[in-house]
Amino acid sequence: MSRKYKFQTLLVIVLLATMSSCKKSFIELSSPTSLTPDQALATEGDLKVALFGAYAGMRNVDLFGRSLPVMGDLMADNAYQSALNTNRYTFYNDYSDTKGATATDGNALGMWTAAYTVILRANNIINSTIPANANVNQYKGEAYALRALAYFTLVRNFAKPYADSPDGMGVPIVTVYNPDLKPTRNKVSEVYALMIADLNQAYTLMTGFTNSSMFSKYAAKALQAKVYLHMGDKANAKTAALDVINNSGFSPLTTSNHASYWANSVVRTDKLETLYEVSSDAVANLSFDAIGYLYSQTGNYGDILCSDDLYALYGATDVRKALYPTGTRAGLPSVFINKYPVTTGDLSDTKVLRLSEMYLIAAEASLPTNEADALTYVNFITSRRGTTPILSTGAQLLEDILTERRKELAFEGDRFHDLQRLKRDVARSTNYPATSRTISYSVFRRILPIPQNEIDANPNLKPQQNTGY
Amino acid sequence: MRKLVTVFLCLVMSLLQVQAQNRTLTGKVTDEKGNPVVGASVLVKGTTIGTTSKEDGQYSLAVPPNAKELVFSALNLGTKEIKIDKNASVINVTLSAVVDNLEEVVVVGYGTKKKSDLTGSVATLKSADIESRPFSSVDKALQGKVAGLQSVAASGQPGASQNIIIRGVSSISGSSNPLWVIDGIPVNTGDVSRLQTTSNLLSTLNPNDIESISVLKDAASQSIYGSRAANGVIVVTTKKGKAGKTRFRFDTEVGQSNTAYKNDKYRPLNATEYLNITREGLVNLGASQAAIDGTLAALGLGTGVDFNWLDNVSRTGSQQQYNLSAEGGNDKTTFFISGGHFVQEGTTVNSKLTRTNGNVRITNKATDRLTLGVNLNVGAVSQRAPLSGGAFGNPVLSSYFLLPTKSAYNADGSWNLTNLGGLHNTLALSEIDKRFLRQTSIRGSAFAEYRILDNLKFRSQYGVDYNVLEEDQYNNPRHGDGAASNGRAYSYYTRYFNWVWTNTLDYQQNLTKGGDLSLNAQVGYEAQKSSGYFGSLRADQFPPTTALTYPASGASPFAASATISEYSFVSQFATASVNYQNRFVLSGSFRRDGSSKFSPSNKYGNFWSVGGTWNIDREKFMDDLSFVTQLKLRSSYGVNGSNTAIGNYDALPLYGYGSNYNYNQLPGSAPANVGDPNLTWELNKPFNVGVDVSVLKNRISFTAEYYNRTSASLLLQVPLSRTSGFSTATRNIGSMKNAGFEFSLNVVPVLKKDLRWEIDFNFANNKNTVTSLPGGADIINPNNTLQLIRVGLPVNSFFIREWAGVNPANGDPLWYSDDKRTSTTNVYPGAGARVVAGNSLPKYFGSLGTTLNFKGFTLSAQFYYNYGNMVYDTWAGYYLGSGFGATFNKVARQLDRWQKPGDITDIPRYVYNGNKNAQSSSTRYLSQGDFIRLRELQIGYNLPKSLIEKAKLTNVNFYVRGTNLFTWVKDKNLPFDPEQGTTSATNLNVFIPRTVTVGLNVAF
Repeated sequence: MSRKYKFQTLLVIVLLATMSSCKKSFIELSSPTSLTPDQALATEGDLKVALFGAYAGMRNVDLFGRSLPVMGDLMADNAYQSALNTNRYTFYNDYSDTKGATATDGNALGMWTAAYTVILRANNIINSTIPANANVNQYKGEAYALRALAYFTLVRNFAKPYADSPDGMGVPIVTVYNPDLKPTRNKVSEVYALMIADLNQAYTLMTGFTNSSMFSKYAAKALQAKVYLHMGDKANAKTAALDVINNSGFSPLTTSNHASYWANSVVRTDKLETLYEVSSDAVANLSFDAIGYLYSQTGNYGDILCSDDLYALYGATDVRKALYPTGTRAGLPSVFINKYPVTTGDLSDTKVLRLSEMYLIAAEASLPTNEADALTYVNFITSRRGTTPILSTGAQLLEDILTERRKELAFEGDRFHDLQRLKRDVARSTNYPATSRTISYSVFRRILPIPQNEIDANPNLKPQQNTGY
Repeated sequence: MRKLVTVFLCLVMSLLQVQAQNRTLTGKVTDEKGNPVVGASVLVKGTTIGTTSKEDGQYSLAVPPNAKELVFSALNLGTKEIKIDKNASVINVTLSAVVDNLEEVVVVGYGTKKKSDLTGSVATLKSADIESRPFSSVDKALQGKVAGLQSVAASGQPGASQNIIIRGVSSISGSSNPLWVIDGIPVNTGDVSRLQTTSNLLSTLNPNDIESISVLKDAASQSIYGSRAANGVIVVTTKKGKAGKTRFRFDTEVGQSNTAYKNDKYRPLNATEYLNITREGLVNLGASQAAIDGTLAALGLGTGVDFNWLDNVSRTGSQQQYNLSAEGGNDKTTFFISGGHFVQEGTTVNSKLTRTNGNVRITNKATDRLTLGVNLNVGAVSQRAPLSGGAFGNPVLSSYFLLPTKSAYNADGSWNLTNLGGLHNTLALSEIDKRFLRQTSIRGSAFAEYRILDNLKFRSQYGVDYNVLEEDQYNNPRHGDGAASNGRAYSYYTRYFNWVWTNTLDYQQNLTKGGDLSLNAQVGYEAQKSSGYFGSLRADQFPPTTALTYPASGASPFAASATISEYSFVSQFATASVNYQNRFVLSGSFRRDGSSKFSPSNKYGNFWSVGGTWNIDREKFMDDLSFVTQLKLRSSYGVNGSNTAIGNYDALPLYGYGSNYNYNQLPGSAPANVGDPNLTWELNKPFNVGVDVSVLKNRISFTAEYYNRTSASLLLQVPLSRTSGFSTATRNIGSMKNAGFEFSLNVVPVLKKDLRWEIDFNFANNKNTVTSLPGGADIINPNNTLQLIRVGLPVNSFFIREWAGVNPANGDPLWYSDDKRTSTTNVYPGAGARVVAGNSLPKYFGSLGTTLNFKGFTLSAQFYYNYGNMVYDTWAGYYLGSGFGATFNKVARQLDRWQKPGDITDIPRYVYNGNKNAQSSSTRYLSQGDFIRLRELQIGYNLPKSLIEKAKLTNVNFYVRGTNLFTWVKDKNLPFDPEQGTTSATNLNVFIPRTVTVGLNVAF
């Protein structure tokens, strides 16, 4: 073999060797911490895991983790921001037509994003093709209820109330995953129709009750009662509320267990009062961003205080008054809020649906035709709070029921939306800035802007921005 | 893989049979003075057959019968080619100091090249340019050294990562940082800390161990690195030993530092100023007298406290380093060993870096044909860094936010841990809390090089780049971030094991008999895998003492997680260059990369380049123009890529698991990644043309280059409609181009026996233009919502509402109502009013340096300049927002506020809790970023040889050096240091230091 020939052979061998690659798997690596959607939703057990993921989405700081319960009272007349504050939610304390949040507002963006994130998680469970059985039905039912709650959050915050016009612009309805979708806003009535349908599905599919942090048949019905109330459909609201009251097997809060109920931060399995709450456990929680920090005077925040006029509504013997200790902040006598007292370890959960509210819905929905029922249901609450019974009639009775509702559901994010659905002005105490004491119903900032990021990504929404932003 | 090993073995076996009939030449290599030259290289021209001279300058070399010329070369002594007389057996040669630097050899990808053979754009730095500087990593030392390489600090934290951009940004989502190749290993770089504020993998590499750096700027030089080359490549070669008597070198440097740039308009207010303006704000708000009195009392009126937080969190930094090295060996074996210690304390409390490192390199010529070598570079860094940005634990933030009426101490001298308005006492936390990062890096390789034939060389190198980060953090139970969990401690372990096996064949061949036409070629194969391992744990519920700071003392385990993340590459590559009479050189390169990061449908990519050079000075017609030492025209074009914007598993649609999705401590899952089956690398197509001119024996030399590179398939976190449940998805969209001009000039106006004066200047401009986007639609940059991506505009354009000043009648803030600027409004306008307002990257930048040598003295200075970018003040809304964040302190500029009708000012009326969104983002918070900085000023003295020889020393040098001594800024409202990373957004980081050091180098 001549040298030249040998060399050429060698070169060919080397070239062949280098051009033939290693085992192909050397460059095919899969994620060690994630699965493809097919793998992740393959079995009934996977569905349950995905369901927990959907529940966890509700804990987002701009949903029930903090913003919803805070803004629902701060934008109304219950909660105000202390002059000594860490600058959170200032826009929702001081708002008017000339002042407040803009389209780039972080809380509005966070709420919008987080709600649709929950909707995607729920959609993937609802649309799963795993064969039905009792467990699969239960999980799907819970997913339907979660989806309805997410849409309820969106439509209440980003759209004018149903009472304004059912044909008004609601929010885009998305029920199938498609990352390239650029939807437009559906009508308010369409969003409400979807919620009612979802909750009917949830009610039908679910059979079990796990604990207070997960939806059950009657928690879904309770949400439906609330949705009907927002639609002004009093008959259906009352029917739904009574179904929960009579058939759920949940027991009511009383004067004796009231204090321990609110001090507790552990998820309940005893069917006492809580139909559904969003859980913050000792590990999965928002830490400093958890709602309790905004109220607690022992930590670093404590920004948000109870308005003087709300506090004045609680009689001396009212057990609820104990939730509002008094003190001094920013050099002024102040009333503090103690509904979320646990700020270390297993943090206070956020109540979303309580049995007490069902009585208040039943009471309000009985008016104007059945004042006797209204009095019965509202006094079911007053008699269990150590306060004097309501005896009024006519228009005053409605006011008294709404006031009782305000007192009972304070700092649970409900008050502002009551004023919205009733198209009422917000009349605030002198705790609030002078320029923001009367927020008439027409103030455009009473609904949130469609986030600028959403409009930038989805130009179809550009002509559908809420007026004023 | 196994197949390759088999083939390799076959190859080696068969080569053992190769025989040659050689004859032996001997001789002596000397310098001009007749001293023997040790370690000179002796090579048979056109082959890899060679040897080096021994201690007495003698060499002996077996040469093949067809050998025509011997090439002698030695460091700093140039090269000489000698014809081999048929009958000669002894060839002596005298080498003289380098005049013709065209024979200089430059390190490029997978080898070296003669400078005259280069077709690409390669800038080189020598050890003297980077060693013994007060910088914690080599990337920081590159500022101003290379035309077209922008090196910007974002923080003065010792050990912080540095932003480097070479010839513009060619990616929207990916890092612009170049690929670093250290001794042939493409290494992991950047900030890989997961718990602490910042880290820099390069901080474990001692710049004093570096022999040379080559910056590859165009296709001809880069494309051999394929899908990772588009941001440019920085090839680092560490020091090698040279044969001869063992030589030692000791370097040390100590000094102090303070803040390089301060603007008095941005000093925090003192107590009286703050309380007065707050009172004014409360009155303007319409608060009742009771509320005013109550609020002011709560804010500290009447306590008499006036505490300057900024002064208290700032301190004099310090700097010290010690390096010792030894090198030597004989003609068979050479070695280099070194050790170093480096300590830097930043100008903010609790910012510190300590590095200890060692380095060994041994090379052995086992036989005439076989060379073996091993090197190991080990560095350990220990770092402490405070929090940055908006974190309440950030001491810099706290010094602008904490009220001057609140002291860090109680009257009894204990820490004030309450009553701080929701903020943290960062002085207390800097002592009680712990934030540590320890980083250990091992970079090393072993190689064997076998000369198969006289003109064919096989080389196999296995390299390892191993990095371990240990991060510890403790937040005490009493105050600060740990209070929520009754104390918490973290321990994070991060490891990157990155191995690379590279096999190359180098081939040289004369294509014509006379050697007029010659070929250099290389083929190679490379496999690489980088495996990340991440362990994270956290425990809560600590005892009340602050002495127990590790998770072991926490009662409640909070997080326990570990996972991995990997990427791999399989690549084949080839280069070839043809040289005609040294006048014309044509080069080409090709690389095929397969990577785990790429989607299944795009697993492999092909990358290539072509380049050409015309050495005009070698032409006959130039013979008369003897004053021209070099005149060279070169150009290149090619294709390469970038994959930094692709996460290891981005191509796949994924469901995520873990703490974000768990509920009631039960496992949850949720969609986490949209995925894209077509995801591919970003394409980059650089064109380069350059001219190198050197006249009057190199007294004047310059290089001018023009480049135009187009980048396509850009990866972007495309914003999705959030109704999909996702905010963004990684997609290949759009294209952009970067075009620019670079110029570097070196002049030696004075060159006398005892006096030498040299001037260096470089300049680079770059124009970036986005050329296409999907549907031509604008995109708000998802990584930086203040910036717009629009066709026809440069990519880093600020896009914000335009400030229209203050209404003199009532002090209201004013903005332009729309982007046409037709009217103004005191209501913060909608998104439609956003306008393009400058760019975060400069239009041009460069440096001017000068060195004066007089006898033993050296005086040198380097100025760095930067023109044409804007800097955004991220947190200004709080300290300059006209009352927004009323319970936080303000800066002095706030005192220029509107007070009464008719006042002309740019600061609106001060209203407690804010005046009509004056705090919101607008051009009000943009400043011009132009600056000139005296980067370096140094005076040194070399002790006379006569003096030090008595002490058996070969060199002693003293110096005093100032770094960042002086900074000039054009915009007097620029709040903080003009260097704020490539995003040009302030983030209240540790301030960039001005350092003065004294140093000593001793060689013996």
